[in-house]
Parts: sequence; structure tokens; C-alpha cells
Amino acid sequence: MSSASPVDPSAELSLLSPEFLARLEQLELVTRKIFRGRMKGERRSKRKGQSVEFADFRNYVAGDDLRFIDWNTYARLDRMFLKMFLEEEDLHFYMLLDTSASMDFGAPSKLDYAKRVAAALGFIGLTHSDRIRVETFSQPAGQRGPVWRGRASLWRLLDYLNKLEPGGATDLATGVRNFCLRNPGKGILVIVSDLLDKAGYERALRLLVAQQMDVYVIQILAAEELKPDLKGDLQLVDSEDDDRAELTISAPLLKRYEQTLAAFVAGVRDYCTRRGMTHLLASTEQPFEQLITGYLRQRGLVR
Amino acid sequence: MWPEWTSMLSWWQWTILALVPPAIVALYFLKLKRQPLVVPSTYLWHRAIEDLHVNSFWQRLRRSILLLLQLLLVALVILALFSPSWRGTQLVGDRFIFLIDNSASMSATDVAPSRLEEAKRQVLALVEQMKSTDVALVISFADTPHLVQPFTSNRQELRESVAAIRPTQQTTSLSGALRLAAGLANPGGGTDSEATDAPKPALAQVLIFSDGKFPDITDSALSGLATTFIPIGGRSAHNLAVSAFQVTRQEENAERLQAFARIENFGAERAQASIGLYLNGELIDADQIDLAADGEGGVEFNLEDLASADLELRIETADDLAADNRAWSPLDPPRRARVLCMTSGDQPLELALRTERARELAEVTVQPPSYLETAEYRSRAAGGEYDLMIYDRCAPREMPQANTWWIGRLPPAPGWSAAEKVDVPQLIDLERTHPLMQFVEMGEVLFREGAPLTAPPGAVSLIDSDRGPLLMIAPREAYQDVVTGFELMGGERIGTNWPLRPSFPVFVLNLLEYLGGRAEDAASLAVRPGQVVSLRVNTAGNQVEVVSPSGGRTKVRRNSRNTFDFAGTAEQGLYKVFAGEQLVRRFAVNLFDAAESDIRSRPDDAIRIGQTKVEGSTGPQPVRQSGWRFLLLAALAVLLVEWYIYNRRVYL
Repeated sequence: MSSASPVDPSAELSLLSPEFLARLEQLELVTRKIFRGRMKGERRSKRKGQSVEFADFRNYVAGDDLRFIDWNTYARLDRMFLKMFLEEEDLHFYMLLDTSASMDFGAPSKLDYAKRVAAALGFIGLTHSDRIRVETFSQPAGQRGPVWRGRASLWRLLDYLNKLEPGGATDLATGVRNFCLRNPGKGILVIVSDLLDKAGYERALRLLVAQQMDVYVIQILAAEELKPDLKGDLQLVDSEDDDRAELTISAPLLKRYEQTLAAFVAGVRDYCTRRGMTHLLASTEQPFEQLITGYLRQRGLVR
Repeated sequence: MWPEWTSMLSWWQWTILALVPPAIVALYFLKLKRQPLVVPSTYLWHRAIEDLHVNSFWQRLRRSILLLLQLLLVALVILALFSPSWRGTQLVGDRFIFLIDNSASMSATDVAPSRLEEAKRQVLALVEQMKSTDVALVISFADTPHLVQPFTSNRQELRESVAAIRPTQQTTSLSGALRLAAGLANPGGGTDSEATDAPKPALAQVLIFSDGKFPDITDSALSGLATTFIPIGGRSAHNLAVSAFQVTRQEENAERLQAFARIENFGAERAQASIGLYLNGELIDADQIDLAADGEGGVEFNLEDLASADLELRIETADDLAADNRAWSPLDPPRRARVLCMTSGDQPLELALRTERARELAEVTVQPPSYLETAEYRSRAAGGEYDLMIYDRCAPREMPQANTWWIGRLPPAPGWSAAEKVDVPQLIDLERTHPLMQFVEMGEVLFREGAPLTAPPGAVSLIDSDRGPLLMIAPREAYQDVVTGFELMGGERIGTNWPLRPSFPVFVLNLLEYLGGRAEDAASLAVRPGQVVSLRVNTAGNQVEVVSPSGGRTKVRRNSRNTFDFAGTAEQGLYKVFAGEQLVRRFAVNLFDAAESDIRSRPDDAIRIGQTKVEGSTGPQPVRQSGWRFLLLAALAVLLVEWYIYNRRVYL
């Protein structure tokens, strides 16, 4: 659907600079899991299949295609091994963005930051003919997000991202469940959110475990959330549910907040690590380019 | 002591000030309306304050503690504006002399615990007010002054010195203390040249803490001192006192004794008291006495003969001064005088010296006139071994250290001379009031011849004839010389018929009694505290030991007048004199001072020093000690605490 909408060329400059795009062209998305695409792609799949590039051997079991038995090995070892080849296939790359009201904070706002991350990763995927799908947590259950493939779709991707507006409350669990219902296949999933859901993040992430996706959780927090610069007697109003907290900000309380935040982030990271997910904390103060070319590269999402 | 409050503002200013606390409360509640601030999520904030909720009490307290501190601050400022003040005293000057009366009357308990303690308390309170540069000295005084502490600015030394002052049982004399204070007030003294070069020291303030039981000071030189009299004690005090106590033998029956005592009531109300007589510490008799206001009365006790005893009289009824409720009297066997008579033979004289009564009174040694030339005589005469020496028609070269009686000769002392002998001088007058002439009836006495006498100044003529005095007594240093201008025997003829008349042995007995030291002994039997007692003791040694009532022992050496002078009579009670191990004398020290016993303070609470009347004052300089500075300092402290709590948010 997005492919039909007119594209605003100026959107490119608001999210990605041309110099950065040139650097991104040299990168590609990788996954630690073996996925099977629906179409043959230019990427070497970890799926062993009918291809020209040898990958591995495995024991023959009854029912295997006899054509792939390595007879040379059988002659030497008197055991039958199946010769496996890497199959080149395309990659399903999903991005799930949090567009709740709480993302509209910081300079730049957390949502803007998330959009740039999505645009950069999307561009990398598009350059390598991966299937790129971008969805949001607030997307209705029956409405699937647009899919793009090929470099020519970059403008549409950027246009789509630019049109995302913050609003509503964070409901991680519902958002993830809807996403899983819409996208039963495997692939790489990058969740960009602040994870500040009063119901907790655990249930939402647990749903993804069964999905067997290669999940990257990029938690974005604004600088004022990491180091709040608050003073005096305040009534803090929650931007999403209008919840109020009356506080007298004091040095011990600020210290206590920072401890709570550190414990929260450590809890998310621990939860993700135990379930094979990759967690990355990003501050809106942190240069966005550094996140893509530095941290995500280190974590193995791009190379 | 409650503070006095003085308003520093007018009513409308107070009205504005009264609105401040409600305004603070209102502002506090306005401040509680917190400023809303939209944040991405309150999720983490809620979690952060979850564990702080256990401290919610402190959080609430912190909220209100700032309000309370602000209200306290305003309250302190308001109190300061009321200018609270206390009545206090302030020392004016920088050099102080504290005179503290510790005489017997200062032991009165009409001011609890005693007047002396009250005086010490007031002095200590003034010492606390002294500035660090001030100096003070302390003198305690009773009958004599005592420098307790020289000038010092060390308060601890002053405190200890004042605390060390103890009550005495002595009479009061302020003049000596003032003289000492005047001497110490300007220790430099200085010559005129020094006085012109150096700046004159500041006039010392003399503060007298006393009940005023002393005579006014007549020495006008002392009136130049800057003196303040602080009277201690009240006028309503009541006191009974023993003002006299004496034990004598009955004339008609020498084996019976009589004890007389006089009791005085120094109070404005009629008083009854029970009087007890104690022998060696045990009650042997008692009596009741009823005394009018300011009245006096006597009690009398009859006793069996007692060779030697300690008699004590006690007023058993409690009053404000205990020191004068007891009196003592020693009962000693009479001491025999030591008499040396040098005569070439005079039967009537020797007979008179050997009567039974005379032997009781004296131990008489008779020697011929040649004895005067011996070394033994010279030694004894110079050593004061005898109480009385009788020279019958003989004379030594030097006057002896003893009382003397010269018969028919003149003493080798200046001032004595005799006229030519006259025949049959007619006796015209007797000095009957003199102790020597008591009961001496000379009506039938005739003189064949006599030499009218001229005596040194101070002499008294005991027998006057128509030609001049025939018997005179004159003082010589500490002794008395009696000179008879006629001879008793007169060689071949009897010079007078006096030795044949009954009055002669009476005169000799008077002589033995008076010049033998008995009169002196009687006077010294009771002395006042602090007085010197002169003791005549029949002992060969030159040293005796005096034991005080509390057991203190003092060694006393014989002086040139053949007496032992003892000055340590500060304590009331019976003193015992020992020669070696033998008890040889006892004497009593009794207060017997109406001025000390009348403990009611002076009617006008003022003393007179020279021509200056010093009004009694309650303290040096009454001043109002204002407390607003302390309140403002406290307000400042509260402000700092509030600032700290607000900025550091200590409790949250």
C-alpha cells in the first residue's frame, strides 16, 4: 500500500544523510539463524539445500534424497553421509517500532531516533534485496505493514517512517501478539522501543521466543530519562495514561531513580540474553551513526 | 526568675507581625500545590519511591518540619521584639575586694543554710560575673581580718578560696578588715613622683558581706574607700544567748558551790527555754526560764563540792544561732600563790603569813635579808618564779620579776621617794574600794612614825595620813608594787600597833589573794573567743601544752612575766593545760557577746564608716539583663537549619 503513495524526496535528508547512506551501502544484515525465504535471494542461506556452494555433511537417514549421498566418502568409510549445500535465499527483516506518546521526548525525540535506526537498517536490507517490513505496536491486528524490496523502495520506506506520529499508550504485549499473528514466518526482528510499559515487557518478549525469530531489542531512552534534571516539588504527569506522581526531588531520590533505572535496564538485558535475544540500550544523545556502524556491528546485526 | 517583657512595637506593628505566621501557613499550603510536569512515563519514578514509602512518615515530617521551623523562627523573632529581660546584677569596675564576715553571728540559720553560706553564694555569683580582665581579692574577717586570696583574675582560685572560708565563733571587727583592704587596694602605694608619672590605678570596689554586727567605724581615713555593704540576714531572727556563767564557792559554806547564769532573749517575742547544767558531759540539773521580748533572766544551781570538774550550761531550746547557746566553766582547786618573804624576824608578819587561810592561798618561803646577796635569789628573782616577794626592811639592787610588798624600805625603782620620817602621823583616809583594803578596819590603828611616800605615776594611795600617803600601790610593767611608808617592828620599838589588830591578817590575806595572782586567775577563767589568755601555772618547767575542746594541741612557753600567753582561743569550750602529763589548769572560752548574739540585722541596713553612711544594697549594680540578642541568635540558628534541610532535603 505504501508503494502506491507519492514519495517525498526531502524525507531522505530528514532521516539519513547522503554520506551516511554511502557508508551503509557497504553493510548487510546478517542473522545467526537459518531462515527459509520464500523466494531465492542473493544471500547465502544457512539452509542447506540444492545449491552449488558446499556447506556440510550429515548422516544419512532413511528418506533422504539419494542424489545428495557422497559416494566417495561411502567408499572410504563404508558409511553414508549426505552432502549439504548452502542455498541462497532472501531475508525477512522486520522492524517493530514503538510510536506511543512516551516516545515523543528527548532531543531528538526517541521516535525520531527510532525512525532513523529503522531507515538505516531498512536501507541496508533494501540494498541487499531483503524483504523489509516495518510495523508499529499500535497497528491494528488485521492491518499488516507495508513490505519493500530493492533500493528503489527506499523513498517509500522513508516516507512511511516520516509519517509515523507519536500517540497512544504503550502496550507491548498486544503489539507483539498482533505482530506475531500477522507475521508467522521467520526472520530478523528489530524492536525499537523504550519498553516503559507499566504492564511489563516480559510477556511481550516471551511471545517472540516461540516465534523463533532473530530478535534485536533496541531500547531507546532520552537523556532526561537517563539523567533527569528535575528540581523542587513536582507533580509528574505520565504522558500516556495521565498517571500522576507527587514528588519532592531530592538527591537521595535522584540516586534512587538512577539505581532503579539501572536495575530495569539490567533486567531487560538479562531477560533477553537468557532467551537468545540481543539487547541494546541507546540514548538519544548518542550519535545515531555510531549506533549503526558501531554497536549493531559489534552485536552482529550488520557486517 | 521570670523574665519581664517590654514591647518594642506599637499596636499596628504588632498587628502586622501577628499576620506573619498565618501567612507562612497559607504560603506553605500554596507551595504544596506542586507544579505539574509531563514526563514520558512515571513507571520508573513510582518504582523508585516504592521503597521510600516506608519513610513516608519522615517525608510528611519533612514537609511539615520546614513549616514548623519557619514558625519557630518567626516566634523567636517576635519574642525578641518583646525584649525579655531579667533582673540581674553587674559588677562595675575592674578591681574588687570581697570582705566576708565569718564571725559567730554569721552562723545564724535564719537564712538557710546559714548567713555565711549565703554570703559565700552571693560572692560566688559575683565572681561568675567578673570579666576576664577583672581582678579580685577575698578577705574574711571576724575579730581579726584574714587574707584568703590575694588579687587574682583566676576565677577558679577565687571560687576555691571563697568555698574554703569557714565559720568562726569570734566577735566582729570591721575596721581591721577595712584597714587591710585599704592597704591592699593600692598595693603600690608609691611616692608622689611615682604618682605623677604612672597612671593611678582604678579605685578598688570594696564589697562587705556581713550581718552588720559590729560597731560603726570611727576612723574617717577609711571612708575614702568605694564601699558597698550587702547586708545578710533578716530582722525577724530570734535568739537566746547565755551572756554570763560563773561558778563560785558559797561564802558561808566553802564546800558548796553555786553556778549562776544569765540568759538573754534577743527577739521581739516572749520566749521560754529549758536550761541544762552538765557535769563532765552528763546532765545533772535543769531549769526553765521565761523571758520577755528583749528581756533577760538568771538561773542558779546549787552543787555539792567538786574538786575538779567541767561544767557546761546549755540552752536546750533551738534558735537561730547555736554558737551562744552553750557556756563552760572549769572548776579547779584554787592555785596557791608562791610567796618569798625576806625578813630579819617579824613575828606578827610571819604569823599572818602562816594562818590557816593564808596557807590555803599561798606557799610562803621565809628567808633572811642575807638571802638577797645569793645567786639563787638573783636567779629566782629574774626568772619570775614567785608571784609575790615581800621585802621587810631590806631591799635588793634590782627590782624582781614579781609583785612586791616593801615594808619600811623603798623599792629601787624610779619614781619612788619618801619624805623625812614624821612622828605619829594621823590616819585620815583609806581607799576602801581597792581589793587590798576590803574588810580592813583601821579605826584603832596607831602609827608611831612614818615617812610620807611619793610614788610613780599611776600609783594609788591606800592609806593617807595627815602628813601624806603611808601605803601606796603602783604598777610596774606587768607587776604591782605595794610600799609601806612605815615599819611594822621598827627595831627596838614597835612602829605601829597594826600587826596586833585583826585588820592586819585580813590585809595580808587580801595581799596574798590580790598580788598572789588569784584575781588575775579569776579574770582569766573565762575569755572570749580570739582573746589572749595569760596563764599562771605552778610548774617548774618552761613549757606547757594547751589542749583545745576539739583536741588540738599547742605548746606554749613561759614568758618573762612568769605567765604562759595562749592566743589560740578561736574555739568555744574548755581548754586544758598540761605540764608534761599532769593537768595543771583549765580555762573556758565563751562567746558572751551581746553584739554577736543579737543577730537581728541593723534597723536601717546601713553602716557608718567615718562620716560616710553606707546604705545596704542587695547587690553591686542591679541591671536588666536583656535576652533579645540570644533569641535573635537562636532565630539565626533556626534559619540555618531550615536552609540546610531545604537545600539538602535531608529527610527524602
